[in-house]
Amino acid sequence: MRVILRTKPRKKPFIPIEAETIIPQNFLRKNDVRVYEGNKERRLEEIFYITTEGPAVSPDQVEIVLSGETGNIKRVGEYMNAGRIVVEGDIGMHCGNFMSAGEIVIKGNADAWLGREMRGGTIRCEGNAGHYCAAGYRGEKRGMRGGLVEVMGSAGDFTAEYLCGGEVRIHGDCGDLPGVEMRGGNLTIGGHCHRPCGNMTGGTCMVFGRVHDMLPTFRGAGNEEREYRGQRCQMMLYKGDAANRGKGSLLVKNIEQDGLSPKKK
Amino acid sequence: MKIDDVVCPFCGCLCDDLVVEVEGTRVVSVENGCTLANEKFMGDHRLKTPIHREGKGWKETTYDEAIRETAEILCDADRPLLYGWSGTHGEAQSIGIHLAEILGALVDNTSTVCHGPSILAIQEVGHPGCTLGQVKNRADVVIYWGTNPIDAHPRHMSRYTTFADGFFLKEAFRDRKLIVVDVRKSESANIADEFVRIQPGGDYAVLSALRAIVQGKRGIIPPSVAGVSREQLFRVADLLLSAKFGAIFFGLGLTMSRGKSKNIRNAIELTEELNRHTKFIISPMRGHWNVYGSNEVFTWITGYPYAVDFARGIAFYNPGETTSVDVLSRKECDACLVVASDPGAHFPKACAEHLARIPTVQIDPHVNATTHLSRIQIPVAVTGIDAEGTAYRMDGVPIRTRMLFRGTYPSDTAVLEQLYAIVKEIKGP
Amino acid sequence: MSEFLIRNAYVIDPLSGIKGEIMDIAIRNGRIAEEVGSNAEVIDADHCLTLPGGIDSHSHVCGTKVNFGRYMSPEDMRAGRTARKGVMHVTSGYSVPTTFGNSYRYSVMGYTTVLEGAMAPLEARHTHEEFTATPHQDMLANTLFDGNWSIMEAVREKDMKRAAAVVAWTLSAVKGFAIKLTNPGGTEAWGWGEDVHSIQDQVPHFGVTPAEIIQTMIRANELLNLPHSVHLHCNALGVPGNYRTTLDTIDLVPDLNDKRQSLYLTHLQFHSYGGSTWKDISSKSEDIARAVNNKPAVAIDMGQIMFGRTTTMTADGPMEFKLYMLHHNKWSNHDVELETGSGIIPVYYSRKSLVNCVMWAIGIELALLVKDPWRCMLSTDNPNGAPFVKYPEIIALLMSRRFRENEIALLDPRTAHYVPLPAIDRELDWYDIAVMTRAGQAKALGITGIGKGYLAPGAEADIAIYPLKPESLDPSAEYQQVMAGFGKTRYTIKRGRVVARDGDVVVEGANSTIWTRSTVPPGYDLSVDPEFMKKFEQYYTIRMSNYPVQDVYLPRGICIPTEASL
Repeated sequence: MRVILRTKPRKKPFIPIEAETIIPQNFLRKNDVRVYEGNKERRLEEIFYITTEGPAVSPDQVEIVLSGETGNIKRVGEYMNAGRIVVEGDIGMHCGNFMSAGEIVIKGNADAWLGREMRGGTIRCEGNAGHYCAAGYRGEKRGMRGGLVEVMGSAGDFTAEYLCGGEVRIHGDCGDLPGVEMRGGNLTIGGHCHRPCGNMTGGTCMVFGRVHDMLPTFRGAGNEEREYRGQRCQMMLYKGDAANRGKGSLLVKNIEQDGLSPKKK
Repeated sequence: MKIDDVVCPFCGCLCDDLVVEVEGTRVVSVENGCTLANEKFMGDHRLKTPIHREGKGWKETTYDEAIRETAEILCDADRPLLYGWSGTHGEAQSIGIHLAEILGALVDNTSTVCHGPSILAIQEVGHPGCTLGQVKNRADVVIYWGTNPIDAHPRHMSRYTTFADGFFLKEAFRDRKLIVVDVRKSESANIADEFVRIQPGGDYAVLSALRAIVQGKRGIIPPSVAGVSREQLFRVADLLLSAKFGAIFFGLGLTMSRGKSKNIRNAIELTEELNRHTKFIISPMRGHWNVYGSNEVFTWITGYPYAVDFARGIAFYNPGETTSVDVLSRKECDACLVVASDPGAHFPKACAEHLARIPTVQIDPHVNATTHLSRIQIPVAVTGIDAEGTAYRMDGVPIRTRMLFRGTYPSDTAVLEQLYAIVKEIKGP
Repeated sequence: MSEFLIRNAYVIDPLSGIKGEIMDIAIRNGRIAEEVGSNAEVIDADHCLTLPGGIDSHSHVCGTKVNFGRYMSPEDMRAGRTARKGVMHVTSGYSVPTTFGNSYRYSVMGYTTVLEGAMAPLEARHTHEEFTATPHQDMLANTLFDGNWSIMEAVREKDMKRAAAVVAWTLSAVKGFAIKLTNPGGTEAWGWGEDVHSIQDQVPHFGVTPAEIIQTMIRANELLNLPHSVHLHCNALGVPGNYRTTLDTIDLVPDLNDKRQSLYLTHLQFHSYGGSTWKDISSKSEDIARAVNNKPAVAIDMGQIMFGRTTTMTADGPMEFKLYMLHHNKWSNHDVELETGSGIIPVYYSRKSLVNCVMWAIGIELALLVKDPWRCMLSTDNPNGAPFVKYPEIIALLMSRRFRENEIALLDPRTAHYVPLPAIDRELDWYDIAVMTRAGQAKALGITGIGKGYLAPGAEADIAIYPLKPESLDPSAEYQQVMAGFGKTRYTIKRGRVVARDGDVVVEGANSTIWTRSTVPPGYDLSVDPEFMKKFEQYYTIRMSNYPVQDVYLPRGICIPTEASL
């Protein structure tokens, strides 16, 4: 089954739509799907032109396609556990939060908190992601614990905060403190970033671009080889964050690094 | 008429030992206050009546009309914002939150541009603190990090720290060590025993280094961190470890520089680490006299200290999403009520532009930058002068502000109660 | 005003000697009446269990450290949120609910009176503001004196009357109800990052011992003729082997009051540990229960823990720091100048932890081994042991051996080696539960005099009608029904108004705060005492005239006046 949702013009287009109801299982049986626009509840038809093609007997056979002005539609795919969602353009905050299975593809950019507290499944963003991509919830000790979040462009600050399991791959740059508080899982950054892995206690982060302002509390632990996009790279290995008694691994490509130079011990 | 033990409604110090002389409905002298207090009590130029925008000018209106129109504006909106709160008493803040609840509105206070990041850090790692009297009576090492009390909290040092004699420190100025950490040599830095100058944006790295040193990992530290020499880092760490009671006070130097809440978190984790060796506390230098009060009232009613969104009929909290600067710069709000604060002066330009674009109403005694963005302004009594109510000091101690004289203005509580009643009537059961 | 008649109620009213009778209850103007007219609204209780409204004698729901617990725990807030519904406001919070959350959840369970476990006098105003926002329960405040400088100085001078004068001034100033001591001496030591480890340790600088503080305060309490006794959170909470401290403390207690206990020991589960390290911690409930059984001057509450997550919060600052060192969860601390301390840290009690399994057993053992239900009341030290919404489950465990067996089977298998619980057969009955959840509290707190805790004419019409039929329900077998039934009343009536029905609160509340004022002879009036005033002039950071809680904070306050015998 393919459900195509195309946005209708709205009187107040800057008010975000809260759409956690847009998940594959809700379209199996013509459910009365509701969303929120500010403090008003709306039926799905008030916000989208809806076209449904073909049958499905289980949620994993459902594909939802979102198109139009989707940049401030929030919570799409929240708690999703089967099926596929494709966003033709940009997507709003909290896309794929708590996802445990299934696939989300975003052809444009994703706003903040993409894939927060993810448990499983796959999210692929072809554009850029905002702040707190694949992060955890403030106050909880563990964040994303499984699945894959892949961003072809760049991501904002605090990417993969509290990461404890799963894979996060940012092919472009990251902002400040990617991997901050991480304790498990794998974070890969293809481009540049600032101050990676502050307060890290476990897990592995690899940076293939430049690291700016490397934090002073990481201990050099030799060199290792890693592969990225078919290329073999020499990496400097650091263990830390010592400030937090951490035993995580931060691997940084052995190229000229500026800011506080990473030490070789 | 002289009134003793007056509470000053300006900064988070919430000094309560002012002696004020009142003649009729004017304060004519203030003793024991700092220059900020003098100005607050004596330089009080009020808006005389409610005003309503008319073309490029203003016309006077009545309280009843202004309040009714405000109610209609808020009820018509799909995403209204009720912002401010820090400059009024708790009873009014409480009504504001209940108002937001029945409107399905966003409600936020000035923490959002001030110590919001501190709150976020506390939500990650907790807050090992105490009341200010503990510091006054016991602290032998005091650190001001990213804050300049001589300017912003003028009596902090004389009432609570450097110059305040306490039970266990009879000669404070001699017995206490003062460390100031800043990016520039501020006035407070000038009187410090140890001044640590950090490169802008380098606080996080320095805090990480200090944590490692306190844990005994001196060997890992490079020759300098963010412009601070290793020698000075060791010296500072030793000072901290040798304290019998250390107190760290921090301000916007940490909350509003790169890393924001993570800077505070790092400072709190340093404090927690130090507690393994000796007694240490950390506390934010709250700006407004009742911003902590708005956090307290918000929390016991909604569960969250600021940035609460009632649009879905529950209390939802997510700074970055439900915070005023974000919802205004994204142009999400379609109406705004500003109470006891001045976002026109403090918010980014994009937010001020949006406030001007949407129907904005301000409840405030004075003409300020926000007036120029509003459609309606309703003047009220000033809490601590002609209105009374509860305030919470920067350390959480609640003190009741005094009404010095009975004026002609209604209090925030009176106006908000009337507004609430009309909104309830419009919304129905 | 309104008249109500409850018909066919299965009433257990221990204070009136009613142990399970079908009766009618007449209500007029908020009080139980002899009879009412034919216009009275009728509720048919249909043989359902009808008890006086629940009274919680130790719960942390209002005040500085509770609000700290809320505001530092957004993950707890989102775990327990409810939407606006009818007159009910939005609520948030699982283990530390917002004030309306607490009030509604207590009301739905039939509770109409709650004693806040700890209020620091300096911050009393905050507690009172939150009391008003907990609108469906009458509230009382335990007022902290454990680290109070004026008290410790009086103790050092062996001046019991001066200690009483300090208490009288303070309770009256801050509208408190009773004397609370939390780790006496320890909270002052924590001002320097230290603690006391036994009741004979000296408090740094002040040179007094916890034993001296406790003994002086017990006597001061009786000199003031206060309705409640001293309410004590013993030293060494949570430390393996601490049962000895508890026994030593019980030994200190004189019998000074014929109406109630002379010392109330709270959350005693946390103080009943044998062993010497976390590896061999064991239950000493038998020794503790024996001591309590032999000492009528002592009453206790359980402090039961239940598995799952919760938030610990107490005035016992050093203990909370120890928990931080053990678990490394986020930790808050808040010492209060010249008075006391506090600490807050979230915890998770797990069946996979042998230590937690032992703790879980001890609370239940205390309730089953203390023979007199009047002297062992039900509590979880909410939220330290568990949120109060778990009380129904605890009741079911106490009433059903089978339920206990099923639960014991889920514990760490080594538990049986360290605790006597599997061998205890006793099952409490409906009467015991009625005593342990309301009548006992009313007696222990000394509030029967204002009409709380019983249903005879003249009493306050605080009533809970539970969907349970004791005539046909065997609690030993049907423990799931017991649990469900105590979790949601059919009706909760407060001061003669129906406030909750079948899980929903149906009216706005208008509660009262109950406080005590002890009149002392002029020679003991500390408001003109230079030594006492000096504390405000030099050491406090608030002026003496700004310290007392103004009347405006208690819109419907109920003052219990007493005459001090000084």
